[in-house]
Amino acid sequence: MPGVLAKKLALTKERLYGLIGLAIVLALVPVFLGFNFYYVLLATNVMLAASLVAAWNIIGGYAGQLDLAASAYMALGAVVTGHLLASYGLTPWIGMFLGAGLAVTVAVLVGYPTFRFGIKEVWYALLTSALVVILMRIYYLIYGSFETYIPHMEPEWLYLSFRRYEVYYYLLAAMVVIIIWINLKIKSSKLGYYLAAIREDELAAEALGIDVRRYKLYALMIYAALAGIIGGIYITLTGILSYRLFDPWLGIVTAVMGIVGGLGSIEGAVLAAVILRSLEEYLRGAIGATYPGSHLLVYGLILIIVGVLKPEGLASLIRYVKNKLFYRKREEVK
Amino acid sequence: MAREVLVLDKINAGYGEFHVLFDVSLKVHEGEIVALVGPNGAGKTTTLRTIMGMTTLYSGKVLLNGKDVTKIPTHKRIELGITMVPEGRRIFKTLTVYENLLAGALTKKAQQRFQENLELVFNFFPKLRERRNQIAGTLSGGEAQMLAIARALMSDPDILLLDEPSLGLAPKIVIQVFDIVKKLREEADKTILLVEQHVKHSLEVADRAYVLEQGKIVLEGEAKQLLTDERLRKAYLIL
Repeated sequence: MPGVLAKKLALTKERLYGLIGLAIVLALVPVFLGFNFYYVLLATNVMLAASLVAAWNIIGGYAGQLDLAASAYMALGAVVTGHLLASYGLTPWIGMFLGAGLAVTVAVLVGYPTFRFGIKEVWYALLTSALVVILMRIYYLIYGSFETYIPHMEPEWLYLSFRRYEVYYYLLAAMVVIIIWINLKIKSSKLGYYLAAIREDELAAEALGIDVRRYKLYALMIYAALAGIIGGIYITLTGILSYRLFDPWLGIVTAVMGIVGGLGSIEGAVLAAVILRSLEEYLRGAIGATYPGSHLLVYGLILIIVGVLKPEGLASLIRYVKNKLFYRKREEVK
Repeated sequence: MAREVLVLDKINAGYGEFHVLFDVSLKVHEGEIVALVGPNGAGKTTTLRTIMGMTTLYSGKVLLNGKDVTKIPTHKRIELGITMVPEGRRIFKTLTVYENLLAGALTKKAQQRFQENLELVFNFFPKLRERRNQIAGTLSGGEAQMLAIARALMSDPDILLLDEPSLGLAPKIVIQVFDIVKKLREEADKTILLVEQHVKHSLEVADRAYVLEQGKIVLEGEAKQLLTDERLRKAYLIL
């Protein structure tokens, strides 16, 4: 079968061109924004959300585990990178990988027993949500409520310490493209295939000979590592280390964006992140100042509307547009 | 007597603290169709899951082709030539028929013999050949059951565990399912352990049978003899 599977799952040319196209568009965004300080910062935040959701897609979309701990793994990457940089002057280029290493370690420590005892669905969601809070308290016990500021350091490239946002934007945009590429690679690999079976029906997958625990754990580890690296970049952007990095709300929002995008669809997930994050910022700017908090209300309403009108998520919309554009028959495989 | 393919030796098993099976022993010989019948909640599915290693085993042994597999994890047992068709079909609904079959062929042996097995499965179930690119969720109940069996066959097992293959199917389709069970032995040389609630049909296709009640084997013997067993006839309303 190797031939059969390989042919079936090869990364299509179409997708590769799509990825290159996306990279070019993302590269041009700051130009269109006229290198405006505020807009580029917004775009950077959108890229942050998009990369995080793209990473979440591996555990949430492909493996079908409702993981709410994206912010925990991101924050682990951030605090490791940040503290090593602030206290020891270690370049974040190394720090972010150490941070990712810690994130993976925590993921394994939590994931192994979780999957071993078959915790899934809402219970998995609760558990991961609790993980964010637990890690936040642990950080609080060690560092207290103090915020640690990372000073500006030279040379800029070594310490990722820039005075403008463009570089951060490009770093995170590159992460988006890389993580989408990883997603596509996984989807077209044996791992992606196993994960699809696990997401569809865990018991059936197990009865067919898939080592369910192992592959779920692999998905969790990849996701945690990516979130950790994103965190490492993020901390060089904000420069503020605080227990507030462990943000349960961000973990939930990440999953929400992934779900609105359409589970298992990387295009949908990234699109949802871009739209929802931009929308949230827009609403905050438009009405948040006049009626504090109202932007979240509208944001929630929009989520409900999307959920009612398009329960399959934005992915179905993308598929529809694609089919209209290329006059193609119904895609054979989703 | 033919070789013993599957042996359960005094199995005590359950889920966590919840004890379901009490000293269950059974044997399946090569080329046999063995039926495991009994009322709801007797532990039939638990028995199959124990064979696959998906329950908590307190004591006893599971032997596959003479090899003690008690400590071997589920996914490795498949490589030893056993596959279960789970209750309620549990096909991968968003994947196509063909992809479901691909998912069945995970072991090395199954991958090497992929084309042969695919041919075999398509000859068995011509409907599936027609619908190979159809999304599995759109299949009818009967077709979905065929796909579930076909998917299990793709792993090229010696022994096939069928868990309630007739569950929720129209009476006409139920008869087809039992025909397929017979054909699996005759044309594909499979050994079969069949769990069913259709006691009469099962005993008609099976060589031997075990009756499970409240986690214990209460009756065993030749299927034909059991069919005439007065107690059984009364309990299961075989008229």
